[in-house]
Amino acid sequence: MKASRLTRNVLFVYGILMIAFLYLPLVSVGFASVSQARYLSFPIRRYSTKWYGEAFESSTVSELLLTSLSVAVVVTIVSLVFAFFGALAFARYQWRFRNVFQKLILLPIFFPQTVLGLALLMWFNSLGIIPTWKTAVVAHLVWITPIATLIVAIRAYSFDPALEEAARDMGAGTLTVLREITLPLLMPGLVSAGLFAFLLSWGNFPLSLFTTGADSTLPEWLYAKMVSGYSPLVPTLGIMSVVGSFLLILFAFALVWLMRANKEARTAQD
Amino acid sequence: MKSLDQKLGLFSALPVVALLGLAFLAPLVVVALFSIMPAKVFSLANTPDFSAYAVFVQQGYYKSLLWSLGMALASTAILLVVCWPLAYAMAKVFKSFTLVLTIAIVMSLFVSENIRLFGWVLTLMKGGLIEGHFRALTGIGFDSPLYGVPIIVFGLVYVYLPFMLFPLAQGIAMVPDDTRQAAYDLGASRWQVLWQIEIPLAAPGIVVGSLLSFVLAAGALAESKILGGQAVIAIADDIETAFTFGQNWPLGSALSMVLIVIIGTLALFGISKVDLDAIMGRKR
Amino acid sequence: MNSSPFLSLRGVVKSFGNFTALDRIDLDIKEGEFFTIVGPSGSGKSTLIRLLVGMDDLTSGEIRLRDQRIDDTPANKRPTCMVFQSLALFPHMTVGQNIEFPLKLRKEVPDRRRARALELLDLLRLPQSYYDKRISQCSGGERQRVALARALAFDPEILFFDEPLSALDYRLRKTLEKELKDLHARTGKTFVYITHSLEEAMVMSDRIAIMKRGKIEQISVADEIYGAPVSRFVAEFMGEVNLFDVTVAADGSVSSDVLSSRSGVKLVPAGEEARGLLMVRPEYVGFADTADAFDFTMSGPLHGEYALGSRIQYEIETPAGMVTVEKLREDRRTVSEGETMTVGFNVENTHFIDEAS
Repeated sequence: MKASRLTRNVLFVYGILMIAFLYLPLVSVGFASVSQARYLSFPIRRYSTKWYGEAFESSTVSELLLTSLSVAVVVTIVSLVFAFFGALAFARYQWRFRNVFQKLILLPIFFPQTVLGLALLMWFNSLGIIPTWKTAVVAHLVWITPIATLIVAIRAYSFDPALEEAARDMGAGTLTVLREITLPLLMPGLVSAGLFAFLLSWGNFPLSLFTTGADSTLPEWLYAKMVSGYSPLVPTLGIMSVVGSFLLILFAFALVWLMRANKEARTAQD
Repeated sequence: MKSLDQKLGLFSALPVVALLGLAFLAPLVVVALFSIMPAKVFSLANTPDFSAYAVFVQQGYYKSLLWSLGMALASTAILLVVCWPLAYAMAKVFKSFTLVLTIAIVMSLFVSENIRLFGWVLTLMKGGLIEGHFRALTGIGFDSPLYGVPIIVFGLVYVYLPFMLFPLAQGIAMVPDDTRQAAYDLGASRWQVLWQIEIPLAAPGIVVGSLLSFVLAAGALAESKILGGQAVIAIADDIETAFTFGQNWPLGSALSMVLIVIIGTLALFGISKVDLDAIMGRKR
Repeated sequence: MNSSPFLSLRGVVKSFGNFTALDRIDLDIKEGEFFTIVGPSGSGKSTLIRLLVGMDDLTSGEIRLRDQRIDDTPANKRPTCMVFQSLALFPHMTVGQNIEFPLKLRKEVPDRRRARALELLDLLRLPQSYYDKRISQCSGGERQRVALARALAFDPEILFFDEPLSALDYRLRKTLEKELKDLHARTGKTFVYITHSLEEAMVMSDRIAIMKRGKIEQISVADEIYGAPVSRFVAEFMGEVNLFDVTVAADGSVSSDVLSSRSGVKLVPAGEEARGLLMVRPEYVGFADTADAFDFTMSGPLHGEYALGSRIQYEIETPAGMVTVEKLREDRRTVSEGETMTVGFNVENTHFIDEAS
């Protein structure tokens, strides 16, 4: 029985409302970021971009951004390498402990991040490691690597193992197969996993909270200011962070599009 | 080919296993050990006792735990009802709009949850986006719904919506259209199809989605701090306080262990019930 | 068998946007008959069955069952039931629970449900021990029987089938075709069956409707559709056929550029001159040992010889086009490729398809 036109329209409106619901708070933050008043109240009387100017000039802000960026970049690179192999073990190879491995990978995702951060803090302490942004990288990896692995695994499920077998049949060694067949086929999965890894690390706060030591990431600073001692820079930096993320997503889409166009152009020439 | 698969599987699992062993399982062992240390020590080289667990019972920390579990349960139940129609539509009704919704919802995940919760504060506070504009238009103000238990549950629903929605949509997509139509054809009403065919067949998605949102909500911290304004204390909040202001690692560890055991049992139970290969789209 | 209209369709149209999937279908199905709708994919037969069962709404027209309009009744309120191509067995229920599903919906008491399910297992020649089996433990043929049992438990006025045998292997399909025909006789229910396989239709049906591009080309008994098709489409769809362009004069005499006929050979007079196709099935074409052995003859080199199990097929390249001849294996001829052969057929084994109509 097909959904009637009415049901379809009602569901469509529901979907639109859901998106509105998800983004409404960001709208408020956006308005707040361009309000001139130090203490915000709606409706906004005077608009100004002065907080953006202050944010750009502030050395605290650039330090925060640098720390967040360093963590996110390292997390992305390392988690991608791990996820590539992890996804093959998850989805592709039929090996004895595959089931256990699949379940082990899911555990960190199901784990409260605050507790994970604290556990790592104690672990680093017992090992005698002083927390810096580098320990935060480890903390992020514990949570983000499993997610990246799952994303690549979805791709790994969808390709035919006969392709690898055919290559091996033609005399390719294990490494050649990985490089020439498996890697290119998993590429779309790796691209989206990389995007996820970067953005999730960029926005993460419960893990960073306990594991960055004296360093501070942007979300951590925002949280501190929200809970105590409001700063008019909070909405401004929030919006800057959001806009940065969305620009990165746009950039990724553009890159994928360009790569595809380039490939088509080359095949057209052949 | 079989033995090659064995070797390659083991080899490629190694990096992830090493990471999780060293930075996930080992820290959990440390937490477990710290939880049986005497109060306010910072090293494991002490005589173990179970005083921290006694404090958990005596000083009423179990109340925070019950609050957290209760609010997590409430938000999970609300999420199930709120997400079902949309998940159903995404899996069976919408065509290209499903992609739009997916992208929009995933993008919202990339925004740090505390920015989004802070946005709700700005939206709902007295003189916020809603009340401020309403008062400017009508001259009538009203009290802000912030700082209470309902608003914390609201925050949990808001933050963990994608974690319920996507597994649910995946579960519903696994219900063959034919079985649904066959049930109608055999005389079932809409409700009977929902209860006897759709829900049982979408069960893996329902289990994963509910588990994920319950577990994450039970360990959540930011919702009660930012939106709840300490109306009730979440267990994660107690844990944080024990570690930071309290400087009492054994107490924090004991509280963590209680949460970990509850969540771990649920997660392991749920994960063991589900065929991951089928959910993630095995094509063999 | 009651001959008053049982299920009748009048002017049924179904369109999707600009595409007309069903174009003004009129159809009467009698009570208790085994009626088969045959057509290639895209002919609209699946759309038609979905309308009949109530899974889609019609664009216009009406469907009546025992003179009651049912086209506005939703699927779950119609006294009809379908066996799906995929069978659509509920994977989370046992065989017994599947069969009892419609009875449970009617609030039948558990004892009665169980008794009925066991009865149906017997009827479909499944052991009673299958009652507690899971669907995943059943073979393809067993699932087929479970699906049938479930549909019969519903006790429908009409049982619809949407190509339920198409996924099975050849031998099992043949067995089930016969069982289905047998089941039809024993239950006395009206069966409406959809298939793209002519063979299936011929084995089981009382009457057959041929569909093409959303229209019904011909409705008749199997023999007539095979021997007297109304169009080239039906003729070709119903198996191997030889077709020749001819003109038939008002008195029934045949003239053709490609066929040579014995003088005085006449078709049943049509009353006026008509252009069309003269059809003859390959089994009615014979090897001509003498010049006037047949009413029509033609000759040419042998193009190929193919063994089809119990029969042998020959293809001969004549000026009239490729002519197919089919002989039983016992009547096989020793021939070599390229050898010139003369073949022919008699007028009583032909059928004239008037292309104007």
